[in-house]
Amino acid sequence: MVEKKENEFRKRDLFYLVPLWFISLIAPDPYLYHKKEFKKKDIFYLAAICLAPLIWSDSHFHHLMVLAGIYAILALGLSLFMGYAGQISLGHAAFFGIGAYTTAILTTRYAVPTFLAFWASALSAALIAHLIGRPILKLKGYFLALATLGFGEIFLVIVRESTNLTGGVIGIFGIPWFSVMGFSFDTYFKQYYLTWGVVMGLFIFSKNLVRSKVGRALLAVAASEDAASSVGINVSKTKLEIFVLGAVFAGWAGSLFACIMSTASPEAFSLGFTILVVMMVILGGMGNLYGPIGGAILLTWLMDILSKYQEFSLPIYSVILILFLTFFPDGIGTRLNVRVIYLIGYWAKKKKRDEGKL
Amino acid sequence: MDLWAYIPQLLFSGVTIGAIYALVALGFVTISRASQIINFAQGEFVMLGGVITFFLLNGVRLSYPLAALIAILIVVLIGFAMHLSIIYPLRKASILILIMATLGASIFLSSTSGLIFGTLPKTLPPFSSGGPLQIGKISVSPQSLWVLLSTFMLLIFLYLLSHRTLLGKAMEASSTDPLGADLLGISRNLMVFLAFGVSAGVGAFAGILITPLFFTSFSSGTLLGLKGFIAAVLGGWGKNSGAILGGFVLGIVESLSLAFIPSGYKDGVAFVILLLILYFRPKGILGAPFIDSRRW
Amino acid sequence: MSLLSIEKITKEYDGIKALDRVSLKVEKGRIKGLIGPNGAGKSTLFHLISGVEKPDSGKIYFKEKNITSLESHERSALGIGRTFQTLQIWGNMTVVENIMAGMDRRLGGGFFSYGLWLPWIRRSEKEALKEAKEILDSLGLLGKWESMASQLPYGKQKLLEIGRALAMKPELLLLDEPASGLTLTEIDQLSEKISRTRQEGVTVFMVEHHMGMVMEIADEIGVLHNGKLIAEGTPATVKKNPRVIDAYLTRRNRKPDA
Repeated sequence: MVEKKENEFRKRDLFYLVPLWFISLIAPDPYLYHKKEFKKKDIFYLAAICLAPLIWSDSHFHHLMVLAGIYAILALGLSLFMGYAGQISLGHAAFFGIGAYTTAILTTRYAVPTFLAFWASALSAALIAHLIGRPILKLKGYFLALATLGFGEIFLVIVRESTNLTGGVIGIFGIPWFSVMGFSFDTYFKQYYLTWGVVMGLFIFSKNLVRSKVGRALLAVAASEDAASSVGINVSKTKLEIFVLGAVFAGWAGSLFACIMSTASPEAFSLGFTILVVMMVILGGMGNLYGPIGGAILLTWLMDILSKYQEFSLPIYSVILILFLTFFPDGIGTRLNVRVIYLIGYWAKKKKRDEGKL
Repeated sequence: MDLWAYIPQLLFSGVTIGAIYALVALGFVTISRASQIINFAQGEFVMLGGVITFFLLNGVRLSYPLAALIAILIVVLIGFAMHLSIIYPLRKASILILIMATLGASIFLSSTSGLIFGTLPKTLPPFSSGGPLQIGKISVSPQSLWVLLSTFMLLIFLYLLSHRTLLGKAMEASSTDPLGADLLGISRNLMVFLAFGVSAGVGAFAGILITPLFFTSFSSGTLLGLKGFIAAVLGGWGKNSGAILGGFVLGIVESLSLAFIPSGYKDGVAFVILLLILYFRPKGILGAPFIDSRRW
Repeated sequence: MSLLSIEKITKEYDGIKALDRVSLKVEKGRIKGLIGPNGAGKSTLFHLISGVEKPDSGKIYFKEKNITSLESHERSALGIGRTFQTLQIWGNMTVVENIMAGMDRRLGGGFFSYGLWLPWIRRSEKEALKEAKEILDSLGLLGKWESMASQLPYGKQKLLEIGRALAMKPELLLLDEPASGLTLTEIDQLSEKISRTRQEGVTVFMVEHHMGMVMEIADEIGVLHNGKLIAEGTPATVKKNPRVIDAYLTRRNRKPDA
């Protein structure tokens, strides 16, 4: 009698274990976040990203994913600063804006090719980040959050008021499509591969940084600045460097954004936008690089769904935000994995108990 | 120079708006002293005070004083609700999560207000009728005097509350030494809960004062809240007196800046002051008592 | 030439002199201990040496170079390693990464080299990993090299901190209360390891409360009390010094005067 029960249990086990095994192949594993090498899963993700627009050829889907890609670049840079180095930045939208406006001004007024403007955007973002980074990064915690917030607001005010340079509240129109050597990215389909190509490239770059001496220095600074100094890590230089890198990523994202939306206006870079981007980093889980990308996709998709509700979209959005923060402060992936496994295990046990009673 | 003629006028309006900033700053400091949390939704309390009063006055047709009173009560209830639904569940979360949660609450309150009460800017009638008075070169609207007077009276009221009543003393104790107060049986959670109510009430009061002078709309809370916070940091973070001083200083400086820079940049002045203060003297003008980072 | 030379260091906090014109020297290749009742200023002295704080007056010389105005990481770069009384290991990294981060200063390269994972980086990282594992092996921590540092038991975490400081290949190792919180067996192992580092050419300067351990392994001991150095010499002489006995047995509150 006992043997039969065991056999039955094993068969049922397989039924639950196979999908679990499959999920574990593709889902990022929060318990192994500290293993920073490239994994086999990454090939699956790469393939998924390359093939997705071919599978779903809906133009709206492409448009959404292009936006998600841009936000992913932004979130990736920010997550290096916040997730790894442990700092807080509530003004990152400003660097996004700097990138967008640099590209906008250069391409519309000075006929600079978009490819060059792309790099110029990164440069301008880096310069400004370097300038304000030095004094601001001396602060910690709430004060740092507040200072970055202040910087973001100042940027907005300057943009709104300098009508000659930035077109004021209306913004700049007519930014050309992004093009490289005559090949112009004018459809959402092409733009998808452009943005996600950049995402992949920057992801690999970031991953390399994170699994090397640089990543260790960042984590060290986050965990204990005194200890980091004691082993020779220049804490303020490290913080500044990663702040500038995050700004560069944001600048690139802004540049692509300008080329894709064809306009640059101040409303796109407000505090609300910063909150959205920070949420992407938090929701994905700080301390890993898949998180911000996943968070970007999730939140872009969420915003799209909510836009159907018109004036209700913001209230619903804020409620969802607060719920996410309450239930998933470590990121959605973390608890979800455990909960799914727990649920499946619970269900298996329950079935076994029912069978037993029979 | 022609500009200098404006200075006294600007000074006075600076003092008026400074009183409002002082009240908002006080709201921030009250919550922060009780719980080490910075409530980014503070500005929304101010906005709601004005908007709800408008609604009660014009929609429900209550008398002005009654509308104001009920509006303040409603906002206090909203403050309590915010604590129970957001702050209390997150009491052990990290700084970042709390900042984001209060920002989320700020978005919720402002967008819901726009939804329910409409997006048009609203105004309230001044407390007393009559045109502006002329004192020397300064044109003084009666409402400004009301603002100053009411602020002064509210400050006295709050002072009496915190120093003469048992409840007030308990809140003071809880914010000065959380562990000690806890050991004496003063529930930290309850104190924070009440702090939210008090902040909300003070904010709503400020909102009612300011709406007759400037329009209030669903989105005006955010900026006002930020400026109030800047005022609190400016004056000396963690002290009531710092909040009040900072409010007036910020109001005056911001107002005076109008004489020298284009008006569109006015809002930026507060943030520049913030960066300067954080860089040169993060403890603020009066200096901050070193607040214990123990929470709950 | 002394490896470390402290001259008339004074540090005040809100009117209370944590250190009052303290001068002492640490000779190369020796193990020097610093003892004293609680609140005597021992940790403050360490903070001043490693650069976490700056003295109000006085000078610090390391290898005959004036380091008083240098930043903390600059001093570490010269060859000063330390552990912390409050145990500052990096719990967000694995055990081996803690060690590797300790020796990272010796690796070259900037953002771009690492981001693009140039071929020489690959080699450099592999060697670093190898060396870090060797260090862990000598400390007996190799078995847990891939676990998160926060998951180690307390005694092993303290060992890890020392290993991290040693990974820098410092000439001077500052140990701030290394034995605190350890069991007696662990303290024995610790004493043995500290003696071993001396053989490897590292000078040790340690603050410690555990009398047994200090008296046993230190070549020389300094005694700090109320911010002043009241005795200095071999363990035997210091033990008998009447002022030292007085300081430990008499309950004195912090007073500026001796």
